Amino acid sequence: MSDKNPLPVKGRTPALLLLVLASLVALPLILPSATLATEILIFALAALACNLLLGYTGLLSFGQGIFFGAGAYGAALLMIHLKWGMFSALLGAAVFGAFLALLVGALAIRRKGIYFVMLTLAFSQMAYFLAYTLSGWTGGDNGLLDVPRPNIEIAGHVLVDLADPRHFYVFVAVLFLLIFAGALRVIRSPFGSTLLAIRENETRAAAIGYDTRHFKILVFMLSGAITGIAGALYAMLLHFAPLSNIDLMMSENILIMTIVGGTGSLFGSLLGAGAIVVLGDVLSELWPRWLMLLGAILILVVVFMRGGLWGGLAELVKRLQPSRTANDKTPAKTKETL
Amino acid sequence: MLDLYLFQLLNGLGLGMIYFLIAVGLTIIFGLLNFVNFAHGAFFLLGAYLCYTAVAITGNFWLALLIAPLVVAALAWAVERLLIKRIYHLPHTFQILVTLGIALIIQEASVLIWGPVGKSIAVPPELRGVLIVGDFIYPYYRLFLIGFAALIGLGLWLLLERTRFGALVRAGSESTETVSLLGTNIFRLFSLTFALGVGLAGVAGVLFAPLRGAQPFVGPEILGIAFVVVVIGGMGSFGGALVGGLLVGVVQSMMTSLWPQGASLMIYGAMAAVILVRPYGLFGRA
Repeated sequence: MSDKNPLPVKGRTPALLLLVLASLVALPLILPSATLATEILIFALAALACNLLLGYTGLLSFGQGIFFGAGAYGAALLMIHLKWGMFSALLGAAVFGAFLALLVGALAIRRKGIYFVMLTLAFSQMAYFLAYTLSGWTGGDNGLLDVPRPNIEIAGHVLVDLADPRHFYVFVAVLFLLIFAGALRVIRSPFGSTLLAIRENETRAAAIGYDTRHFKILVFMLSGAITGIAGALYAMLLHFAPLSNIDLMMSENILIMTIVGGTGSLFGSLLGAGAIVVLGDVLSELWPRWLMLLGAILILVVVFMRGGLWGGLAELVKRLQPSRTANDKTPAKTKETL
Repeated sequence: MLDLYLFQLLNGLGLGMIYFLIAVGLTIIFGLLNFVNFAHGAFFLLGAYLCYTAVAITGNFWLALLIAPLVVAALAWAVERLLIKRIYHLPHTFQILVTLGIALIIQEASVLIWGPVGKSIAVPPELRGVLIVGDFIYPYYRLFLIGFAALIGLGLWLLLERTRFGALVRAGSESTETVSLLGTNIFRLFSLTFALGVGLAGVAGVLFAPLRGAQPFVGPEILGIAFVVVVIGGMGSFGGALVGGLLVGVVQSMMTSLWPQGASLMIYGAMAAVILVRPYGLFGRA
């Protein structure tokens, strides 16, 4: 245990969902624009999907950008060439993401530790150069332009006009809440407990009789589907699917958001995405080299605050409860890891 | 036509020797310290930029070739003392994340110091010009590059195989604990090895600079290639780094005029295939 991430904190489900709901309402009120708030939620989805792999199954994947980029390209192509609507395009992106995750996952999990990471890295680079090469489909270096953002329609009748950034935010927020609740349901299920068992000790989990490869592939597919949806939403938000979506840097960004937010809770992913997107938005104008700060934060979190922002908040809340502090002398969970 | 192939082949050997220098540093660090250094590409970048500054100040490329790698190694030594020695015991995944952070800091600091636009570094005057043999023309600098990198490689091989330091590094790769029990200050050995490995990336950065200049965002690309080389050759293998480096360099060079993205697809595909079929690489031990 000492060298692993802290075990997830099991809060009550309704309370956690209320917290998410409150955050979703608060975000556009605090932030200067609905577009920024939407961007946060999109990356929070990607981070949440990454968290399922890293935090709950112990798999460090440098391949999340593959699914993000594939979701963006997939949905965009379906909408441009086949005139698919909003929901079918999102579904298409999810299926495409899950399919690629099946391919990447099934191969990558044949190796462990550093070799697993290297495999995801190799696949990530291959996906990038493949997207670059297939410029007839992806637009290559220029990216895919004029990605539509279809309205929600029933039989040709516009139900919700998503061209308005505020409407689009609400749509993404509802989607986020549903996916968050779904992911929470998954990790609190026996399936989720098995993932944690794999993370803690795969040999033992296999010895009990679980087909751990089967579980790892499934969680990869789930992660790929959610990341694909996030990529599709991002392309719709920007009306553009740049090549950088499928870049290794995208994979790194998603990983960093996940880790900074905290791998002990799905809510941490929202915190991480929020903090880094806002930091990037505010600082990139004042100080274009803000990534330097991000590097330092990443190091600090990994070395000193393994629980990330969520872990830090949880610790703070615990300290603020005076009745407990007297007899609860256990040092911070992150300290014992050193 | 044959001349063109020979030209590309020699280019590939030069590039391959540079890849060898980067990868051999990475592989020594992995072999002895069991440490995965994702900042290796960033230190390469730093070597190229320090070469630019040293040339700008002294006007002498040869001085830069001496100073820049030493500064890179000294910096690596300091980073090891301050931060990296605290994370040796952590799993590889955490080492990757911390060194990723270091790489970001170095990359952004380089942009801060040298600006977002790349710098070009002139070929030293002694090596300007071309070698002409019959119809075949080849720049001197690229020939020098192959020879010099081979010399460094030979020196490194002698250091590892024929000196007490090398014996300790090799013994440490087998069993750190035993070496430590036999009375060697293992932490000093670790610091020196880390500085040596990263310093080699610095040398590669300097040698690379007159070819392509110092580009601020080249670090991740170089890191990726270094890992391809190390994986193909076998983690921790000196000979593997040499053969792997030359292989990747030649493939890339031969494909540049045909289909450069195809070269990248091929080498990363080869990396994945090697991990899946033969994870200890072509020259590594199981």
